[in-house]
Amino acid sequence: MTITTSIHHTPVARGFRVWQRNRDAFTRGWRFEVGGIIVEPFVLLLGVGFGLGAYISNLGEGVSYPHFLAPGVIASYAMFHATFDAAYGAYIRMETHNIYESILYTPLEPEDIVLGEVMWGATRGLMSATAVLCVAAIFGLVSSPWAILALPAAYLIGMTFSAISMIMTATARTIGSINNFLTLFILPMFWVSGVFFPLDRLPEVVQSAAWILPLTAAAALVRGLFTGDITPWMLLWTAELMAFMLGGLWLASRQMRKRLIK
Amino acid sequence: MHQYSNHARVAVRARNLIKRYGDFTAVNDISFDILEGECFGFLGPNGAGKTSTMRMLSCVSPVNGGELLVHGKDVLREQRRIKLELGVVSQSDSLDPDLSVLQNLLTYARYFNMPRRLAEERAMESLRQFQLEDKAQRAIDELSGGMRRRLLIARAMLHDPRILVLDEPTTGLDPQARLLVWEKLAMLKARGITILLTTHYMDEAEHLCDRLVVIDRGDVLVEGKPRELVREHVGEQVVELRVNPARMAGVAQSLSDEGIEFEHGGDSLYFYGKHGDSLSEGGKSVNLNGYEMFRRPGNLEDVFLRLTGRGLRET
Repeated sequence: MTITTSIHHTPVARGFRVWQRNRDAFTRGWRFEVGGIIVEPFVLLLGVGFGLGAYISNLGEGVSYPHFLAPGVIASYAMFHATFDAAYGAYIRMETHNIYESILYTPLEPEDIVLGEVMWGATRGLMSATAVLCVAAIFGLVSSPWAILALPAAYLIGMTFSAISMIMTATARTIGSINNFLTLFILPMFWVSGVFFPLDRLPEVVQSAAWILPLTAAAALVRGLFTGDITPWMLLWTAELMAFMLGGLWLASRQMRKRLIK
Repeated sequence: MHQYSNHARVAVRARNLIKRYGDFTAVNDISFDILEGECFGFLGPNGAGKTSTMRMLSCVSPVNGGELLVHGKDVLREQRRIKLELGVVSQSDSLDPDLSVLQNLLTYARYFNMPRRLAEERAMESLRQFQLEDKAQRAIDELSGGMRRRLLIARAMLHDPRILVLDEPTTGLDPQARLLVWEKLAMLKARGITILLTTHYMDEAEHLCDRLVVIDRGDVLVEGKPRELVREHVGEQVVELRVNPARMAGVAQSLSDEGIEFEHGGDSLYFYGKHGDSLSEGGKSVNLNGYEMFRRPGNLEDVFLRLTGRGLRET
């Protein structure tokens, strides 16, 4: 019997096969994860946005605090969900379940696995962003039709942070190194990237440093779309995210090949 | 090198193959040819270089020297093409615990870009062949060790590869599960699939392999057909003598003084060929009363232990 098999021609087609594997695994167990996607941003918006926000009034231009916070939550939760999956999720798939090893015995190569994981991590980010956007809409915080573009932006943000996380996954010796990546990089960034407060109150030096962080560009981009405040700066922020994503993909692929093919 | 007829085609050709990890040489200048349709075994103690060789020809480990061709294609240049024609069952259990039994097969089919309808037909047929059809919707952790191993082989064969590579396919299985795996491999071999396997079960190699190499410390020690290797290196019969460990040294010395050659392993001495005959005929001055002595056919294990030594190997 002859079986029609072939090699996929493009990296995206090959990565898509890995994406499909993750989608199927997620679909089999989604009931256990859906709570985390909706409940946490709901509590954050409610507690911090409306609770703490009641004491915050001088944001200017008639912007309420929940209105300011919501796009930041979209951007940062896209980051968190993408990061968690591409860091912990991918590490477990690779080290505990030997899934990468089994994939390498097919026509796929380490670079394809990295791309597929990044495409999937971004999908997790998009799911989370969609949930937050819906919660924000229920709270009456969505005021501009541009806000729908926050979703493709969230996918880009997800790719950026998945790609950065895959560098960690490819180089981590233990799950502890991934903990460090989260506690020393991702979480601190969450607090100083303009998610919770406008950066223009910070000293000049700190401001410039904060703008190098990818989450700052991510939060600013989503905020602009969310409020309909469209500026040319958005092109720069998008370019910054893409630069981080491409750099991350390149380095993660290199490191992953080094780790798996030896 | 081995002689074979001209019409037999070479599936895998290795010439002066070398694999290094840092300062350690895992495979040291080995050469072999594997013919299409044969079952070829790699035998050797742990750390001999079996798995390294398997990984190199599966294109997941770069060759550091020499040449390695699979169906005439260089493993350093045409990885994707070669992997399309290979089915690999590695030592680690790499079934996907997040997916059902059937999904494991369908997911794998997608990596080979197999059309969906065909993959579904093929997967169900393959589950039937490997006696797993009633497990199709089950989770992987509900399967027994033997079932998992069968599913790994079914998964590796799903895209109809011409070569099946198995790294210790029955390690850790109970005798029944092992026989069932052997049966499936015999079935695949009858279909003309080239099978490469590593094992340290000598009966497995004897049962399955048309030809094999014994490798140790990265070198090929011998190559040949199992029965011929036994005849050549061990003879038809082996005499085994159990000796009280406390008196082992004395007995061994007396036998050596008599000019009788033997191998020493654990609490036993092994005598091959004429040395076995002279011992069992008696008439020697060594007093062997009270020791258990028996004669049995020589097997591949004797070849293996004779060539690699009976001492425990820890690397």
